[in-house]
Amino acid sequence: MLSSLARALTSTSVRSVRNVHRSAAACSDSLFVNYRYHSLLQHRDSADNNVDTPFEFTAENLKRAQAIISIYPDGHKKAAVIPLLDLAQRQVGNWLPITAMHEVAKLLDMPRMRVYEVATFYTMFMRNPVGKYHIQVCTTTPCWLRGSDDIMVTIHEKLGLKPGETTKDGLFTLSEVECLGACVNAPMMQINDDYYEDLAVADTKEILDTLTAGKKPKAGPRNGRFAAEPAGGLTSLTGPPPGPGFMVRDDL
Amino acid sequence: MLRIGASRLLQHGGRHAAVVSAARTQSSAPDKIEVFIDDMPVMVPPGTTVLQAAAQAGVEIPRFCYHERLSVAGNCRMCLVEVEKSVKPVAACAMPVMKGWRIKTDSEMTRKAREGDQSMAFGSDRSRFLENKRAVEDKNIGPLVKTIMTRCIHCTRCVRFATEIAGVEDLGTTGRGTNMEIGTYVEKMLLSELSGNVIDLCPVGALTSKPYAFTARPWEIRRTDSVDVMDAVGSNIVVNHRTGEVLRILPQVNEDINEEWLSDKSRFAYDGLKRQRLVYPMVKDSDGELRPCEWEDALIVAAKALKAADGSVAAIAGGLADAEALVALKDLVFPDAGTGTDLRSSYLLNTKIVGVEEADMIVFVGANPRFEAPLFNTRVRKAWTYNELHAAMIGPDVNLTYDCEHLGDDASIIGKLLDGSHPFSQRLTAAKRPMIVVGTSLLARPDGDVLYAQLLQLSQKLRSSCEGGSEWRVFNILHRVASQVAALDLGYTPGVADIRNNPPKVLYLMGADEGAITREDLPKDTLVIYQGHHGDQGAEMADVVLPGAAYTEKTATYVNMEGRAQQTQAALVPPGMAREDWKIIRALSEIVDTRLPYDKLNDIRNRLAEVSPNLTRYGDVEEANYFAQATALAEMVSGKKGAAPIDVPQKKLEDFYMTNSITRASPTMAKCIAAVKKEAANKYIE
Amino acid sequence: MASRLARSTVRQVKPLLSIDQGEARKRVLNLYKAWYRQIPYIVVDYDLPKSKEQCRQKLREEFEKHRHVQDIRTVDMLVIKGQMELKETVEIWKQKHGLMAYWRDSVEPRPKDFLSKFLDGHE
Repeated sequence: MLSSLARALTSTSVRSVRNVHRSAAACSDSLFVNYRYHSLLQHRDSADNNVDTPFEFTAENLKRAQAIISIYPDGHKKAAVIPLLDLAQRQVGNWLPITAMHEVAKLLDMPRMRVYEVATFYTMFMRNPVGKYHIQVCTTTPCWLRGSDDIMVTIHEKLGLKPGETTKDGLFTLSEVECLGACVNAPMMQINDDYYEDLAVADTKEILDTLTAGKKPKAGPRNGRFAAEPAGGLTSLTGPPPGPGFMVRDDL
Repeated sequence: MLRIGASRLLQHGGRHAAVVSAARTQSSAPDKIEVFIDDMPVMVPPGTTVLQAAAQAGVEIPRFCYHERLSVAGNCRMCLVEVEKSVKPVAACAMPVMKGWRIKTDSEMTRKAREGDQSMAFGSDRSRFLENKRAVEDKNIGPLVKTIMTRCIHCTRCVRFATEIAGVEDLGTTGRGTNMEIGTYVEKMLLSELSGNVIDLCPVGALTSKPYAFTARPWEIRRTDSVDVMDAVGSNIVVNHRTGEVLRILPQVNEDINEEWLSDKSRFAYDGLKRQRLVYPMVKDSDGELRPCEWEDALIVAAKALKAADGSVAAIAGGLADAEALVALKDLVFPDAGTGTDLRSSYLLNTKIVGVEEADMIVFVGANPRFEAPLFNTRVRKAWTYNELHAAMIGPDVNLTYDCEHLGDDASIIGKLLDGSHPFSQRLTAAKRPMIVVGTSLLARPDGDVLYAQLLQLSQKLRSSCEGGSEWRVFNILHRVASQVAALDLGYTPGVADIRNNPPKVLYLMGADEGAITREDLPKDTLVIYQGHHGDQGAEMADVVLPGAAYTEKTATYVNMEGRAQQTQAALVPPGMAREDWKIIRALSEIVDTRLPYDKLNDIRNRLAEVSPNLTRYGDVEEANYFAQATALAEMVSGKKGAAPIDVPQKKLEDFYMTNSITRASPTMAKCIAAVKKEAANKYIE
Repeated sequence: MASRLARSTVRQVKPLLSIDQGEARKRVLNLYKAWYRQIPYIVVDYDLPKSKEQCRQKLREEFEKHRHVQDIRTVDMLVIKGQMELKETVEIWKQKHGLMAYWRDSVEPRPKDFLSKFLDGHE
């Protein structure tokens, strides 16, 4: 544990891949995929994301959308904006064109600005194109201490990606993100909807290779754990649970 | 019909209910509760916020985001105060008081809470901030409002104004936390006729006036209270001027008229006051060119023509003419004419502007209040938002910023409503306090008098059956120009058909620039005298030009659409040789040998009062209630109805900006029109 | 009785400076000459926009204004005032506009009625 901490620290200072001191803006901006737009919370037309980008809900998704809307009572239709935006994002594939926001606004009969507000507020709505596989590597303290820098380096070596970039074939996009809530399985990364945890460099390579080959790697912990249980077997709560009256004074 | 979010309703529903229906609920007002502000006991009604209670005790709690006329946001945290027995400080603007609360507005905890926001007033004067400073890109939201977004503290007053009052939901907050920004997200202009108000609302100067930017410092400016004449609302304004130049115009609070808002035309058209001005008298020479001359020469030419005309004289008053000039002109040209051409209730906005807040049904007929009287429209929107007002429109389907049922643009709908055969009739008669608002463009139609008579009858019918009783006035006229009501009070008749049919020998144009009569309508030997302040259409066709004063340069009376007399104050002197309008006519009268008996402003005001006493009761609305008589007269009207659909002259935002000679001379208004037209190609505009 | 009263009245009148008309006349002429001689210097010192001749004409006018005065004491008093004026002028205690005020009666009075005021630009 200590040695890995030391390793992490030295590796940081030697390679200085990651600055501990960053401005707050830059940190959270790493959530936004395209670095060109890094501090932009304004829309800028681009070749693949502009007011003419085609978007329409598929018939199947439209049915889903109606089902989602019907959950909410009359007069509160706009509460469905988040699930609908998510639906649109999934339909396009990992990102949300501006026209999709317009479509959602139309469906919910709300001003477009109110949809923009929601879409910009939540970091899981990607407002610019991302690759087929959106790799989000957690680099917050627990993951960092457990070697997330190595994962980043591995990805960089394998795919040539820096945070915010997409491979030329449009397959991978790399993002550096803050805590994804899997600290107990650090280091970890999220690719699309799946968590890959307890990563070693080799695991990372294998995952990327599998994805490149068009297959789906196994999600979850990579070090043989089932979930978040202790790696070396249980250290407490090993016996059967004691019955009533356990540790209670005899005279009571 | 839920027009605002339920939570917001809860937050300020009580406040608005108190404002709007105070008169009606007074009898059942619940008991007041006692709270203590800095140990001072105050009795307040339940639901009062801490901030309001403190204001009542005379303690002003500092605030950025809170604004009386907007919903409560509670996001600036400047108004945090300590409440005894509360662990955390509370946001005074959002927290309703409870019985017996002891609020400490100056305690240690309060001050500490404020320090978060105001380092200058409360904190260290040395920066301890070593990181990169946050900077935000400026937005382009049009030619009127300049943005310096790094200054923005995200109080969302502008967003709330645009959403709640202007009814244009184009402003919003994007992003979150330190990255939050105020803006439109996509590149578009704030397309509103009220956009200038966000400048007044902005507490930090992130939104400032583009035309006024860097022209003056507020302490160099002299301020003159006055009245706006760009529309017939009569908004109260403060003219800010320095060295003989209007630098900006700001609204002044008048709860009965404009609250504290001002339309963009009234606020920004002032640069038209410096351009295209008539600065010396002119007379047409033998070549047909207008040549500058002395006052004496111009007056003599005009007087000779007036004498020679031997009574064949007509006068047209324009939209910016003041009551003094109108009465002087009337006394000069038609000394024997009677006063008052109509029953007063037939041409006023009888319910008054505040009256809208009591109405539950409003039907516009051939009127587009959004552009003809923007601040009347904000009242309607306010009533629509908070009082469940139902709006309907007979005329073109225009966007009024609120839901408006479009009944069609067929003139026969009025007749159907009258005999009850229209599907909408039932709801109209069921309304408790209905309003019918008739646009002046409807009355200018060839069949205007027939439609007008029908509308009068319809209103009287509704009035007799509605809950408001005889005190409730259904019939309203929405005027578009500032001079109209005073002119009608003084006995001017609407329309120029008479002049066209019997062309006079001398035509006197009192600032008439709208091209009602053109040179082609008149025989060659008709002499046209134009008196006004801008070289516009009227001066173009004139043989004699007498330069007058604009509304910032004269102390003059204007009557707004409700029938409320108000006066402008002279902030500047008229440019060049230009003079106050009534004085020109007074001087002319002496040369014509019919000396008018007034030399001083007070004299002519006495004359005004003699003709129509309401004209000098400044600030008051002189109500009129002659509907029964008017309806009786209306029943006698007969004529053929035209087949033309009901239309309004101002349908889109670009039609709003230029409506009189001042606005037509204004570069800012020209920029607005250009920008709005350019926005038409922007696909991000819904 | 009446004659005594008249006599006493006459007796009570004390001369200011001059005893008789002749002396008074002499004083007037002296003052006139003093002014007359000083005028070229006054024009220069005060940079008056008037010529010597105009000033002498004005001087004569001012004296002529009081030609009708017969009372010796009044004449003396006027002479004293004239001397004081001269003194102030010579010592440059006065200012230019104070001297120019002698020509003021040639300025047109401001119009009083409405039309004249209007044409004049005051209304």
